[in-house]
Amino acid sequence: MKRREFGTLAAALGLAATPFSRAFASVADFEPTSGKPVYFRGWQFAPEIVQSNVKRYNDLEHGKIDYATVTGDYPSIMEQSLIAKADLDMLYANPSTAVRYYEGGWVMPAETLPAIADIKADMLPQFLDAWSYDGKLLGLSYFASTRGCIHTNLLAYNKAGMTDKDFPKDWDALYDQIYALHDKGVATPILPHWFGEWYGISWGFVMEVLNRGNPVADPTTHKPTMTVDPNGPAYKTLAQWKKLWKSKLVPQEVLTYNEAAYIDAFASGRYVFSPQQIYDVQTMNTPGRSQIAGHTTILPVAKQPWGLIDSALYLMTNRKRPEAQTADVRKFTSWYGFKDGDGKTFVADRWMETHMLFSAYKSVMDSPATEARIKKAIARPEDYAVLLDVYKQTPFPTGIWRVVWSEEFNSFLKDTLSKFLLNDGDIADTIKGMNDQISSLNDKYGI
Amino acid sequence: MATMTDKKSLGRSRLKRRELTDGQFALMIGLPVILLLVVIVAYPLVYSGWMAFHRIMFFGGYRTKFVGFKNFQTVLTDPEFWWCTWVTVRFTLESVILTMLLGLAIGLLLNRPSRFGGLWRTLVFLPWCVSLYGAGLMFAYLARGQTGLPTAVLAHLGMKQVPDFMTTRSIIEVLAIGSSWTMAPLVGFFVLANLKTIPRRLYDLAAIDQLTPLETFWNVTLPPLRFTLFVFTSIATVLSMKLFDFIFVLSDGGPGDASSTLTYQLYKVSFKNLNLGYGAAMSFFLLFLIIGSTMGLYLVWGRREKQI
Repeated sequence: MKRREFGTLAAALGLAATPFSRAFASVADFEPTSGKPVYFRGWQFAPEIVQSNVKRYNDLEHGKIDYATVTGDYPSIMEQSLIAKADLDMLYANPSTAVRYYEGGWVMPAETLPAIADIKADMLPQFLDAWSYDGKLLGLSYFASTRGCIHTNLLAYNKAGMTDKDFPKDWDALYDQIYALHDKGVATPILPHWFGEWYGISWGFVMEVLNRGNPVADPTTHKPTMTVDPNGPAYKTLAQWKKLWKSKLVPQEVLTYNEAAYIDAFASGRYVFSPQQIYDVQTMNTPGRSQIAGHTTILPVAKQPWGLIDSALYLMTNRKRPEAQTADVRKFTSWYGFKDGDGKTFVADRWMETHMLFSAYKSVMDSPATEARIKKAIARPEDYAVLLDVYKQTPFPTGIWRVVWSEEFNSFLKDTLSKFLLNDGDIADTIKGMNDQISSLNDKYGI
Repeated sequence: MATMTDKKSLGRSRLKRRELTDGQFALMIGLPVILLLVVIVAYPLVYSGWMAFHRIMFFGGYRTKFVGFKNFQTVLTDPEFWWCTWVTVRFTLESVILTMLLGLAIGLLLNRPSRFGGLWRTLVFLPWCVSLYGAGLMFAYLARGQTGLPTAVLAHLGMKQVPDFMTTRSIIEVLAIGSSWTMAPLVGFFVLANLKTIPRRLYDLAAIDQLTPLETFWNVTLPPLRFTLFVFTSIATVLSMKLFDFIFVLSDGGPGDASSTLTYQLYKVSFKNLNLGYGAAMSFFLLFLIIGSTMGLYLVWGRREKQI
């Protein structure tokens, strides 16, 4: 064989082998090299799915992922683990806790991932903004949802003689309708977002004030923005809460519900309205799981948005470990939180398929499979557009969530609001107390 | 010959010198436990003491600042601390009284001859084996209006009421019932063991003296049980005062702060707000409360039992 012929043959063989080599290279990109385990911790949501995803990675990429769930008060437990420099490489976090962990110097931003440009390009802008701090994207998309969209029990609503045309357009109209429904004989027209989890009553207040047009704290300076003006969002929210509590339309036990009890309560069919997770439309419309299956919709956006962005990220810690192990953490996070070796958003697609968890990635949300999945979960075909519109317009409380003291304020808010209801608190004093707490936290952290 | 005798007596005296005194022997066998206690009790205690005198900051770089008695002063002027102390005392009283009464009843019932005695003993002991986390979940379901036992019973009777016990007025009672449900079997079994040591002839003599069942219980059954009851009252007091996981799962300190005991408040201050110095100072007040309560129990009850 002549030299020229050999060169041509080699080039042809090389070109022919390109797809295979790319495929192998792609697979090899995610294969760990340190031989050390990567510790992955998360809260208890469908751990069997997570376990199976982890197994897939371990099988395909010869990984050594050590996965476990954390029960109890997740943000606090993880914070203690990070302070104690425990074996922890990847974890779930809400954006507010992610900021706190970043400020503590315990997490490594997603900017260090090789595929960061692709990740950012595929991310919906509102989530890219909500999850960025200090100019850096902190983590990858676990789920991105609307908490507090108003689930509506159409069985009870129609029975009371009301139709879609009567849907309330804002929070004030919603409260008016609650009493109107009660007058029509509905014993429990609303299940408010007052449950006992750390994302219960406090988030219920934040979302309502936010939807009414006040950010609670300034997004840039983090100075308090709530006023004691009786027509102001915070005042009106607390006034409506006080009236509702005194009307005894809401059982006191809601303050001690965990999320499962809160979902079960609405699924029992006793209530007409309730601020819930957008993806729980599926739960409410599942026969055998819900008494109102096939009859649950959500209120469309008219005068104002509903709820707030409730999302979670996969974070990487920056504990001391060998560089090769850190590279393994990046590989696994990228595989799990974005695309696998086949270039598919496997984990996000699976969450959509199994639990209808919305994703921050356009490629997931715009896919025909997602559309089909959502349509399978809703009560009426027209609800699909409503669901996406509510999701698209959901605001994020930047002023109190993109700041280091977010969790401390949330804990304060939970106590304050429960006591406000139980002890018939003064509205102006309560708002003043919240503002003072924000100012005091700003002082504490030198903001 | 004399030399051999001298050697023997010297050897004996050396052997005698090598023998340990009772105190030395006790120290020797107790040393591992003492070392363990130093590691798992003394070290955290000293460290907590150090934290109580400092302000500890994690953000902007880990640093500490000596603040003297400021944390202790803040605790004493915090209305929330006094509220939580009251909740702790109320919960402890109810929980201990229920536990002891239930434990005594279990012991007395199991002491009666029964065809399926072994089976009953196993069943009665099961609540002690249930984790407090599991028990908390179960009692939350039982007490809530929407899933509760009373609601189910009323629904069975055709009524539509939804009795709600997770309220500020009744949450402590729910917690006390749940807590005593988990602790009482252990008390019951120790009472049962004690009851088995009472000679049968004492009951025969009581029958000859024509004592009523109540008089027999008071004069024959109760006296040998009293020391056991004192010991378990002390144990139940300590366990109730430091109970956390059951409360966390069942009510999360709520509604509002209606069930925020000192341990729950400590957790909130220390681990949610990361105010470790203040939390450590508060923990010493809880320690004083526990020691004070058990000392009080000893002075008014335990000391007399020792004299019997």
